[in-house]
Amino acid sequence: MIFRGCSYEADVTEALKNGHWPEGCAPELCSHAETCVRCSDLVLVTQTFQRARNESILAVREASPSLLWWRAQLRRRHTATERLARPITIAQIFALFVNLTVGIVFLAWQYRHGLRWETWWSDLASTRVVHFFSLGSRDLSGIVLATSAVGMVAVLSGIVLYLVYKKA
Amino acid sequence: MRKKDTNGEYAIPNVEARVASRSGEPSMTDDAFSGFYQRSAPALHAYLTRVSGNRTLADDLMQESYLRFLCATHPEGGEVNYRRYLFRIATNLLRDHWRRPTSARIDDVPEQFLAVHDALGGVDSRAILDPVMARMRPRDRQLLWLAHAEGYSHREIAEITGLAAASIRLLLFRARRKIARLLREQHSIDRNRA
Repeated sequence: MIFRGCSYEADVTEALKNGHWPEGCAPELCSHAETCVRCSDLVLVTQTFQRARNESILAVREASPSLLWWRAQLRRRHTATERLARPITIAQIFALFVNLTVGIVFLAWQYRHGLRWETWWSDLASTRVVHFFSLGSRDLSGIVLATSAVGMVAVLSGIVLYLVYKKA
Repeated sequence: MRKKDTNGEYAIPNVEARVASRSGEPSMTDDAFSGFYQRSAPALHAYLTRVSGNRTLADDLMQESYLRFLCATHPEGGEVNYRRYLFRIATNLLRDHWRRPTSARIDDVPEQFLAVHDALGGVDSRAILDPVMARMRPRDRQLLWLAHAEGYSHREIAEITGLAAASIRLLLFRARRKIARLLREQHSIDRNRA
């Protein structure tokens, strides 16, 4: 397609945009628009659209802007809450995963050492709870300490993840 | 009586283009938004109604446009840029609507459903323009309305529609030539009927 411009097009556009067409324009511009295909198309289309716009504007039934504003605030808050909750959920899942892993490792380790916890459990059942630590073997206190440490690491990992997400 | 500024030349004096915070803080006060809404809503509704050919859809899309506008980070530069941004949101919503597979394409809608009925005048414009608009492609309708009804420049139309600025001129030229031919045909049909 050959795309030829018209040197008067900008003037016609400006006159139409400012509402000067045709009374406020030079006669030669008006006579040019009658003979030039591009400019006559421009005048016809612009005048039709401007008339349609004015009619549509008069027919508008406006909604309440305050209602829209409040709906937008609700949506913003909902989005903000979702954004905050996402890293917390991820941290919780991560902590759960770490705890489960520790639990599984602990059980496997106990199983490999001949299920000593069974005898420990029967010993514990026969004693009073207040003597829990004093009756425990060296291994037991080590396991308790290790489990506490891993739990602490899991909780701290969750917090670190949360802070990283919040910063990002 | 308060005069409506539908051209949007006037900037909102007490509203800065504030960055929407992540904490859900409003980016525009209720009063400032009310003023902006009153000045911009008629033009936006006219755009959506004429381009979509469906007043109910235009109502829905207008509300969604303002909601998204309020939830988003506003561009700098005052009300003129706000309006352009609003039109961009509306244009994207229209495009999403047309892309949705379940929704009926605007080209498939019977012509009688495209007419906008209200109690006011303007029968001529609707009788001539609506059937012609229904025969245009959705993108062409958007381009023509933004250029000839809203008076946006090619660069502004490119920003609103997301099309390349260089291609706007040619696309608009083709669309204008086609609609001018259809308008002349429609005029002659109406004259013959009369």
